[in-house]
Amino acid sequence: MSVAGVLLVRNRNRFEGFPEPLFEAYEGSLRALESRLTPTQLEGWSQAGLDLMAISLRSWESAAEYFKAGPQLAESTPWEIYEQLAREANDLTEQSAPLAVSFLRSAPQTLSHIGPNHLAQWADFGRRLYKGNWKSSSLAAQFYDAGPDLFSTSRVSHAGRLVVFLDELARHSYELASACLTAAPEVLARLENTDRMPFLTFGVELAQTSWADSRLFFDRGVPLIQRVHGPVRERYLTLAAQVARDHSRSVFQYFEDAAQALGDVEPEDHGAVIELAEQLVPHSAYAAMDFITNAPEVLGKVRIDELAAWQDHGLGILASSREGGEAYFRLQSSRGEEVLDTLSARVELSKVGDILRLYAKALTGKDISIHAAAVLTEKGIGWVDEERASTEGTTIYLPEVMERYRNKEENFASVKVFTTHQAAHLEFESFSFGFERASTLFEDLRPTIPEDSNTKPATEIERFFDLFPDRTLASDLHEIAEDARIDAAIKRNYAGIRRALMRMQHEELAHRPEVSELPLRQAFVENLVRVSLDGVEAVRWPAEQQESMSSGVAILQRLNAENATPEDAAEATLRLYQLAMSIRNERDESDEDWESLPDVDQESLQLDMSELGGEGAPMEMGEPQDGEADYESPQDIDFRGDFKPELVQLLMKLRDDAEMGDAGQISPDQLTEEQLKELLEKSAEIDLDTLLEGDLQNSTGMFLSNLLKEAGTPTLDSEGQSDQPLSDLSTGGEEADEPLEPIVTTHYYDEWDFRAQDYKPRWCAVKEAALEEGGEEFYDETLREYAALVAQTRKQFELMKPELFRKIKKLSDGEDVELDPAIEWMIDIRTGVSPSDKIYWRRNKVERDVAIAFLLDMSASTDEEIARRDQQYDESDDDPRKYLSWWVTKRRQELAAPPKRIIDLEKEATVLLITALETIGDEYGIYGFSGYGRDNVEFFVIKDFDERFGDQIKKRIDKVTPIRSTRMGPAIRHAIHKLRETEAKVRILVLLSDGRPQDHGYGRDRTEKEYAIHDTKQALNEAKREGITPFALTVDRAGHDYLKTMCEDMGYEVVGDIESLPRRLPALYRRLTE
Amino acid sequence: MAEAPTTTEVTAPGGLVLAAEEFTVSEEPYYLPLGDEVELFEAAFEQRIPVLLKGPTGCGKTRFVEYMSWRLGRPVTRISQGGEAPENDEGPRPFVTVACHEDLTASDLVGRYLLDTDGTRWIDGPLTRAVKTGAICYLDEVVEARKDTTVLIHPLTDYRRLLPIEKLGQVVEAANGFLLVISYNPGYQSALKDLKHSTRQRFISVEFTYPTRDQEAEIISHESGVDPAVAIELAKLGEKVRNLKEHGLSEGVSTRLLIYAGRLIERGIEPRRAAQVGVTWALTDDLEVQRSIEEVVTSIFE
Repeated sequence: MSVAGVLLVRNRNRFEGFPEPLFEAYEGSLRALESRLTPTQLEGWSQAGLDLMAISLRSWESAAEYFKAGPQLAESTPWEIYEQLAREANDLTEQSAPLAVSFLRSAPQTLSHIGPNHLAQWADFGRRLYKGNWKSSSLAAQFYDAGPDLFSTSRVSHAGRLVVFLDELARHSYELASACLTAAPEVLARLENTDRMPFLTFGVELAQTSWADSRLFFDRGVPLIQRVHGPVRERYLTLAAQVARDHSRSVFQYFEDAAQALGDVEPEDHGAVIELAEQLVPHSAYAAMDFITNAPEVLGKVRIDELAAWQDHGLGILASSREGGEAYFRLQSSRGEEVLDTLSARVELSKVGDILRLYAKALTGKDISIHAAAVLTEKGIGWVDEERASTEGTTIYLPEVMERYRNKEENFASVKVFTTHQAAHLEFESFSFGFERASTLFEDLRPTIPEDSNTKPATEIERFFDLFPDRTLASDLHEIAEDARIDAAIKRNYAGIRRALMRMQHEELAHRPEVSELPLRQAFVENLVRVSLDGVEAVRWPAEQQESMSSGVAILQRLNAENATPEDAAEATLRLYQLAMSIRNERDESDEDWESLPDVDQESLQLDMSELGGEGAPMEMGEPQDGEADYESPQDIDFRGDFKPELVQLLMKLRDDAEMGDAGQISPDQLTEEQLKELLEKSAEIDLDTLLEGDLQNSTGMFLSNLLKEAGTPTLDSEGQSDQPLSDLSTGGEEADEPLEPIVTTHYYDEWDFRAQDYKPRWCAVKEAALEEGGEEFYDETLREYAALVAQTRKQFELMKPELFRKIKKLSDGEDVELDPAIEWMIDIRTGVSPSDKIYWRRNKVERDVAIAFLLDMSASTDEEIARRDQQYDESDDDPRKYLSWWVTKRRQELAAPPKRIIDLEKEATVLLITALETIGDEYGIYGFSGYGRDNVEFFVIKDFDERFGDQIKKRIDKVTPIRSTRMGPAIRHAIHKLRETEAKVRILVLLSDGRPQDHGYGRDRTEKEYAIHDTKQALNEAKREGITPFALTVDRAGHDYLKTMCEDMGYEVVGDIESLPRRLPALYRRLTE
Repeated sequence: MAEAPTTTEVTAPGGLVLAAEEFTVSEEPYYLPLGDEVELFEAAFEQRIPVLLKGPTGCGKTRFVEYMSWRLGRPVTRISQGGEAPENDEGPRPFVTVACHEDLTASDLVGRYLLDTDGTRWIDGPLTRAVKTGAICYLDEVVEARKDTTVLIHPLTDYRRLLPIEKLGQVVEAANGFLLVISYNPGYQSALKDLKHSTRQRFISVEFTYPTRDQEAEIISHESGVDPAVAIELAKLGEKVRNLKEHGLSEGVSTRLLIYAGRLIERGIEPRRAAQVGVTWALTDDLEVQRSIEEVVTSIFE
């Protein structure tokens, strides 16, 4: 007899008094399990069931379920689980038989979902819900019943959290808990896996603080939460949970509103909104939720990147007054609205800089950059005001933010007026004033004034200002005259901007100081300012002295003429100066009325002018006299910005000198240090006191070196310069601790000596090695950062994709008649059938067959941060406050936009180019070069022609770093060698560098540039001879001068705005090969 | 590439249908000489030296050739040096223009066989017709054409003045008045589309640039009928926008576009709008560059 049979017989009597089905279940289970279990195990199994029956009056019911459950367990279930099941059943039956019934009934199915190992945990969950009363028992039973449903989607951990939630809820209402439990499997199934936990966590918080809402949350939560962008849902729920924890009032309402609101925000912006809200939580949870709720409305007015600024304002208010802050974020404070309006209306230079740059370039035809005015002041070369527009001849500097008006268009219009005024200084040549050049409108007085022969003025403007005893007054008058001329020129040439300009002029007029309260000479100057602002009617002057004022006005108005030149402005200055000097600078004590000017009679004024001109007689320049009030300059005019012709001319001259120095020539009238110092000391444009504190001698020196650095001249004083990295010095130990020595192959190349007009044989050793590998992150991040551009580039390149070479037949038009269809055609004709006219063939487009080698400059100079030169803090100054403010400014800028180096942009451009090239399928190689000396030209392989693009290449790009010098010749020759090995018909060599070629021993001495340029040119010529198209690309602004020599009839391009390189490079490649 | 029917003077709505070689420039086209290009061309024509016209698109190359064709076709009494009777190159001069595209092959220029009721029939291409009739043949944007066209150009442009017709096994000697003029835009720095030296050194090369502001204003005013004051503003716009070449724009705005803008203005379109559709949008799809040009436009026009 089988073990089962023995057990059945032995235990038959114990089933007496119980319903018959119980024994049947017992029998069934024994028979079913007999094959799975050993006899001992089977006996244990049977005994546990019999024990269950004995526990209580109704415990036989659980025993029945126990017997039924056993056979339903998976076949592979280990014996321990049977034992465990029995233990749990026993335990639960002791507490409540119906509970055990539910547990056992759903155990087999539940275990099939969660796996046998979680059995104990699951049992515990139910036990937690059971509190000894019948309501809790039925809840726990319901939990067990729900097992199969629940676990078909959710995990044990979710169930755990659900139990905590139910437990919490049950303290308030079993009905509610039961209802939620009923809904739970379905609700959880509808959620993403990652969202379940936070969803339940929030539920727990909700149950604790406002339990009545839990039902709502369970009913409506899922669609709400799905309005939140997937990846940030968890953060949103966590945030909501935090809010619920801190507050009890209408938590669900907040949750609902905010989730609804997020649904109206672009999904990709959710992260930013939630992050900002998270920052608010520590201050006020309500504010955080209101912030989210109102995000759509706020975002209707400002861009997502401006939202932070709005939040920041509110955060400030919140920190000082909780109520105020909360009202702010509820959009119930006028302050909040105001900030919003300003933000939405303001124009940031970083957003419009590119547009304005091209605009200014179009207007002037010069290579103009646009930068924030702060950049100019940091240079320490004479400009001190961070808020005012200006130019130093090559760049237009503008305030970083324009928020003068409540409307974006108007703000932009005013930035445009600022830009136009500065651009007009360049377009209408304010800075090309020549002392000896004749004016067109006036009789020249300049030659008639005796000059001090002892001084040697550095610039033309300086020479002109030297004529005046009172330099400040002269400078002010000149500025008024020149600005009047410029504004007139703008109005004449640019009808479209006239209205905006006049509007700004009128606004300036409205804010001028009261003229009658000024000392007379200043009042005179002030009146001229008004006239220059097109406000003759705003001139007020003592009625009795109308004459001098009228003459002044007439002189100034002459400059409105179309042919007015900077020299005319200078002549006008001379005359105005004389007039001004004839007026004592003291308050008008008489009780005379200040009146506006009578209508000016132009003819009579002409007469006055000639009188003033003083036919041929030497002119007397007035000087300030004793007893007068000190002269003060008139109030600044915002839209005109800083005008510093003396400095600009100086800088231009220094730049020219530097360029001539580069070309190996010495400027005939090179400036001496004494000349410079003298200029700085006397110029009215520089206020050395505010510029640099400390003793004058020292700061002048510093100022000079700044100026020279700006102009690109080697500095005169060497102190403090040694820490500047020279491009010839190795930047450091990167290769020292390199673990693996890469395989290096050496190639020798000739070098061209232009003096000998011959090659130096086997002169350079090029060492080729694969670049070491870094991480892939750089590559991936670049793709992310430029996602839009990448997509655009890919699309463009896909359009270029070639079709294969083939002969297309059966066309109605083509190169020639195809024989077979022609015969058919004839047959058709003869047999009287209508023939097909498709009898031609044509060759399709030739196959695209392009190979490109791409040479990256990895010289030390590419380490330079873009547009942020000269930011080192002057260590000699140990004023902690200054250091702090310097540091704060720098930090703020870095946060706004982390500084990028030239090499970073080279790398990014490479990444974009790769995606483009991969799209189109051209053969390509990417190489970097650097080195030191002729024996050590390093040639790094980033991607060789025969390598396939893959992770390895991505990792190599990461390791492109600035190393040493730029010996271009041999690198180009080696790239030619590489290209020669490809079989493509069209071969292109693109050279990307940041400056002229330069290396140790690449020329007679370090400063000689000719040799390097000639060798490079020769190498490029060699490429051409090989049928390779060379193309040089540089990000060096000064590139035009040497590239012109180097490339002659070859293609080259100077990318003036370095930051556009990643965009330019693929575009350029397209143009080269399309 | 359907050939025009060989029958002449079929009237069609809009005007005359002519065989390629029968087209002449009968009305004087408007052309404002910018330098000595007219004299140069005349001298070259007399010596039958082929001419290469270089310059950016829309600066008036085609108009210039048309003008020259008209000018050279005027009945001028030319007494040749030998004191013989005037040569027979008087009267309207046939003028054949071919706009080259990247699929233009030699057979498109020379001619091909067409099927006829009883076999095939040869039909001359535009170049062959020009060679036979002694026309001025203008190949516009010649670098675009396929490389096999050079086979034709070379023998035609040296002392031989021959056109080989491979498929017929013939060689056609160019009639007296024949002159090959090609145009070429060096602006596209494309490695694939450069004119080979063996080709370019067969032509004298006349460089075209954009006219000066005043000249351009005159042209715009004449061609579009717009007020000279508006014309000068348009010319100013052109000048400013051309400053952006190579900085966002690969090609400056053509005089042709400025004229179009002028015509729109003449038809009552608001100047800013006319400049927008005629210049800004026509030039570039790059939103940023568009915006910059837009700002220039709004600065110049009220």
